[in-house]
Amino acid sequence: MEDKKKYNRRDFINSSFRVGIALGLTGIGVALTRRAIAGKSVWQLDPSKCVQCGRCATSCVLETSAVKCTHVYDMCGYCDLCGGYLRPDTKDLNTAAENQLCPTSAIVRKFVEEPFFEYQIIEELCIGCGKCVKGCGAFGNGSLQLQINHKLCVNCNQCAIARACPADAFSRVSASEAYLFKGFVKGKK
Amino acid sequence: MQNRTEKYILTGVIITSIAVFSYWFFHNPVKYLSANVPGLDHRPLKDGSADTLVVIGEKFKEYSTFTSALTGKWPRFRGADMDNINKEKIKLIDNWGKYGPKILWKVELGEGHAAPVIYNGKVYILDYDERKKNDALRCFSLETGAEIWRRWYSVSLKRNHGMSRTVPAMTDKYIVTIGPKCHVMCCNPQNGDFLWGIDLVKKYKVEVPLWYTGQCPLIDNDTAIIAPGGSSLMIGIDCATGKVAWETPNPDNWQMSHSSIVTMKFGGKKMYVYCAVGGMVGVSAEGSNRGKILWKSDKFRPSVVAPSPVILDNGKIFMTAGYGAGGTLIQLVKEGNAFSVKILQMYKPNDGVASEQQTPILYNNFLFTIQPKDGGTTRNQLVCCKPNDLKNILWTSSKTDRYGLGPYIIADGKFFILNDEGTLTIAKASTSKFIFLDKAKIIDGQDAWGPLAIADGKLLMRDSKQMVCIDVKAK
Repeated sequence: MEDKKKYNRRDFINSSFRVGIALGLTGIGVALTRRAIAGKSVWQLDPSKCVQCGRCATSCVLETSAVKCTHVYDMCGYCDLCGGYLRPDTKDLNTAAENQLCPTSAIVRKFVEEPFFEYQIIEELCIGCGKCVKGCGAFGNGSLQLQINHKLCVNCNQCAIARACPADAFSRVSASEAYLFKGFVKGKK
Repeated sequence: MQNRTEKYILTGVIITSIAVFSYWFFHNPVKYLSANVPGLDHRPLKDGSADTLVVIGEKFKEYSTFTSALTGKWPRFRGADMDNINKEKIKLIDNWGKYGPKILWKVELGEGHAAPVIYNGKVYILDYDERKKNDALRCFSLETGAEIWRRWYSVSLKRNHGMSRTVPAMTDKYIVTIGPKCHVMCCNPQNGDFLWGIDLVKKYKVEVPLWYTGQCPLIDNDTAIIAPGGSSLMIGIDCATGKVAWETPNPDNWQMSHSSIVTMKFGGKKMYVYCAVGGMVGVSAEGSNRGKILWKSDKFRPSVVAPSPVILDNGKIFMTAGYGAGGTLIQLVKEGNAFSVKILQMYKPNDGVASEQQTPILYNNFLFTIQPKDGGTTRNQLVCCKPNDLKNILWTSSKTDRYGLGPYIIADGKFFILNDEGTLTIAKASTSKFIFLDKAKIIDGQDAWGPLAIADGKLLMRDSKQMVCIDVKAK
C-alpha cells in the first residue's frame, strides 16, 4: 500500500498539459479537415427554387454581384417576342432601349433567321437582378437562369445572399458540379 | 514685390482656368457609351417577296365518297353561338369507364394548333402539310376519320411554335379559312370547289402576326368578316362573289391579333367586336353604315392578344390577354346614336381572372377561365367569378388540378378540359364549386392547345401533331 504512488499536483499538471495538447491538436485537425472539406464545396443557387426577388443583386459582398444570368441555349425557343429581353408592354420588337427589360442592357439580341433570334448575356454588365429570368419563366421556356459565377464568387463561409434569400434557394454543392441548371444541360457551364 | 506676387497668382489662376475649361470642353464622359436603338439585332427589312407565287386554292384531290346520317354542327370557332357551349340534347359520359376513353380514330396533322369544325357528319380543318409545304383544307368523315377530299395551295413556312392555328367558319354553302400567312380561302363545303381567295398581306399590307395567323374567320349573313389590320381594320366579303362589300378604315394603324371577331347587340344595334393589337373596336354590322366604327378604345392594348372578347349582359364586354396584360371589363354607353366606352375594371393577371390563350366561357351567368402562368397562386387553375366583378375569384379547381394553355368546352352540363400534354378531364359545370368527375390520358403529346369541338356525341381534340375523335356519348 505504501508503494502506491500518490497522484500529486505535478502529475495533475502533466496530465492536464498532455490533454490540453491532445485537444489542441485534435481541434487543429478538425479545423483543417473542415477547411479541406469546405474547399471542395461552393455556394450555388437552385433555379427551380429561385423566385427572382432581386436580392442577389444587392446582397452579395462584392460590389457587383457574383450571381449572373446564364442562358441555357438548349431550352431557348429563340423567340422574336422574348419575355426575358422585352418589356411586357412593348409594341415594337426591336433593340430600342425603351423596349429592353434588362436595366443594364446586358442581353444582346441577334437575328438568326426569320423569325428566330439569339440572346447572349454580357456577363460584365449583368448585375443578377433576375428580371429577365422572371420574364423568361413567365412567358417562355425558362432558359434564362440565375447562377453564381465561380470565377467571381469569393465563396464566403456564410454567403450573404443565402442569408437574404427568401426562397432558401442557396446551398453548398460539390465544387466538381458547381452549377445547377434546370433543363437539358446539367452540371456544365 | 506685392504686385509681382499678385501677377503670379493671377497668371496661375488664368492658366488653371484655361486648363479646366479645356478639359471640360474636350472631355467626352460618355464616349464609351453606345445608344440602344432599333436595328442592332440586324434584322433585315421584310420585303414580302417570298410568297409572290402563292395561288390560293390551286390544287384539289378527292379521296373517298361520303354518306352519313349525322346532323350535328359545330360550324365555327367556339360553336354556332360563339360561346363554346354545346347545346345538343345528347347525354354525354361523366366518366371514362372501365375500359377508358373510346377513341374512334386518329389522323396525323402538321405541327400546329388549328382546330376542326363539324357539319353534318363531316370534319373540316385547315392543316399545314410540312412535307409538301402547303396549307390544306382537309375534309374527313366524322364517323370513320377517312379523308374525303382536300384543297390546298403551296406556301412556305418555318416552324414557329406550331404553324397552323385557325378554325374555319362554315355554312351550308361556304367554308372560309385563314392560313398561317393570312391567305383567306372560300370553298364549297359539299364538294371542295374553290370559290375565291384573298392574300391579306398583298391586298391590305397586313403584318403577319407573331407565330402566324390565329384569327378565326366569321360568316355572318353570307358575308365573311375578317379583321386584317394594315390598311383596313375590318372587311366584309360577299361569300358568293368574293367581292369586298365594305371596309373599315384603320387610321390608328392597329395590327391583326390572334383574337377573333364576335357579334354583339347593344342599344338596338348589331355590331362586330374585335380586339386588335392597338385597341378594341365595335363596328356596325347592319344597315347602311355597315363597316363604320361605332366605338373604339385603346385603354387595353396588349402587344399579344389571343383570347376573343366575351360578350356579357347589358353592354358589358370582358377582354383578357396573356404576357402580363391581365384583363378588363368595359361598359358600352349609348347616348343618342353615339356609343362610348367606360372602363369598369382593369387589372394585372394576379389581381383577377385572366387568360393567356383560350377564351373564357360565360355559363349560367358565371364566368369561367383558366388562369395564365402569371396568375399568381391560381395559375393554370380553372376559376369562376361573377361577370360584374372580375377581380373576385369565387372558387378554383385546386392546386392539384392545373391545366396550362389547353382548351375547355361545356357540353351536357359538363366541362371537358384538356391540358397541355393531352389529358382530358371531365368536371361538372357547377357554379358553386369545382366538381371533378374523371380524367384520362388520351394522347401522349404536347402543346394540346387547339380548341375542342363536339357534335353528335363525338369530341374532337388535338395535340401539336395529331387529331383524335372520341366517343363521349353516354350509353
